[in-house]
Amino acid sequence: MAGEIYRNLLKDFRVELRSRFAVNLSLSFAGTMTVTIGLVTSGVTLSPQITSLLLWMIFFFSAMNGLSHIFVREVDQGTFMFMNSKIGTDAVFLSKLIYNSVFFAIIQVIITPVFVFFLQVEVKCAAVFVATVFTGGLAISATSTFLAAMVSRAGGRGSLFTIMSFPLLVPVLWSAISGTIGSFEVRADCGWGNPFFLLAFSGMIAAISFLLFRHVWIEE
Amino acid sequence: MINIFRIVYILMPLTVVMAFLWAPGAEILGDTSRIIYFHVPAAWASVLSFFVAGSASIGYLFDEKNKRARLADVSHNSCVIGMVLIVLATVTGSIWAKMSWGSFWNWDPRETSIIFLLLVYSAYFSLRSALGRKERGSRISSAYLVLAMVTVPFFVFMVPRIYPSLHPAPLINPEKKLFLEDKMRITLAFSLASFTLLYFYILVLMNRISAIEARMVNKRNEK
Repeated sequence: MAGEIYRNLLKDFRVELRSRFAVNLSLSFAGTMTVTIGLVTSGVTLSPQITSLLLWMIFFFSAMNGLSHIFVREVDQGTFMFMNSKIGTDAVFLSKLIYNSVFFAIIQVIITPVFVFFLQVEVKCAAVFVATVFTGGLAISATSTFLAAMVSRAGGRGSLFTIMSFPLLVPVLWSAISGTIGSFEVRADCGWGNPFFLLAFSGMIAAISFLLFRHVWIEE
Repeated sequence: MINIFRIVYILMPLTVVMAFLWAPGAEILGDTSRIIYFHVPAAWASVLSFFVAGSASIGYLFDEKNKRARLADVSHNSCVIGMVLIVLATVTGSIWAKMSWGSFWNWDPRETSIIFLLLVYSAYFSLRSALGRKERGSRISSAYLVLAMVTVPFFVFMVPRIYPSLHPAPLINPEKKLFLEDKMRITLAFSLASFTLLYFYILVLMNRISAIEARMVNKRNEK
């Protein structure tokens, strides 16, 4: 299975590098939002609550723009039948999950410093901040990957993906925002509860999605 | 089996009588507290219906021999009832909030949780209508219901305990005690039983309707 995952991952990255559609879309959206917020709030000191809320709203909508693409593309281009005949269902899910996690981590690596720079955010607990951002990203990717597969089967309707993702991602956003606020505030202890929760949530959702994926993806 | 559930015709009116005439009003809240006999059971029955929907979905998805196709209808019907009950719980909770806290909506953790549960299950109906009622549509929407069921404990049990809330905790609290007088406790237990029975009764009726519909579709296809 490892070989199948590797081959599918390589194919997905090659296709993305050729078109750069999803990465351009997500980065352009996140960049435009960050610069616009920075411009509008220039000179105004935002509270940690508002700053972390804005950061996660940018991440959330970037994810909505880019993460469904991985399955919608396969269905739109009619390659999913060929993929299913060559690669096992479990390998398809795991490769797409890894792809989405890496893809979203790249978006976060680019956007987070830009956001911190333009909004002049002072991070008090850098380790917790970085851990929250990445575990939050992982949780968003884990949830979105399975939902993207469902949406691609429903005709790839973009708004449907957002409608379905938002309520299920509320626990993630809730915890991620709370963790980010903590890392912006001066505290005696840097709370690690939120990154751990996000990691556990990612694991749980990924495990359930893995078990259910074949019911969503395979044509009976 | 449906005859057992017909007890609800006696239990529901009895619950109303007990809630308004037999049980006393709470010490500070007075008669407004009587809404507890409808708000709490509606919330409980909605969570139960989502749990049944999720469990039926698991049964449907992991049924290798495809002998339990009707479970897809059971999970959908349970979800429909759950939505009605959760709207009822939200409305009654909102009225109670206005009386106790001065405004209908305060973004209290419990209010926020219930509104997100509403969104989670509204998304299910959007998905189901996008997919249609064919077998593939049923499988995908059942998979969504399983995923949705996993998030329910987070909204119902975790959030109100992690974040400070104005919401009273008469049933499940750190002391594990019921802060109610005996008559109030009996009425609440009675109401919980009535709402649970009502939920199962409506579910059985809806499942019968779904079975008749499925039979009619099969007959039409045979022609």
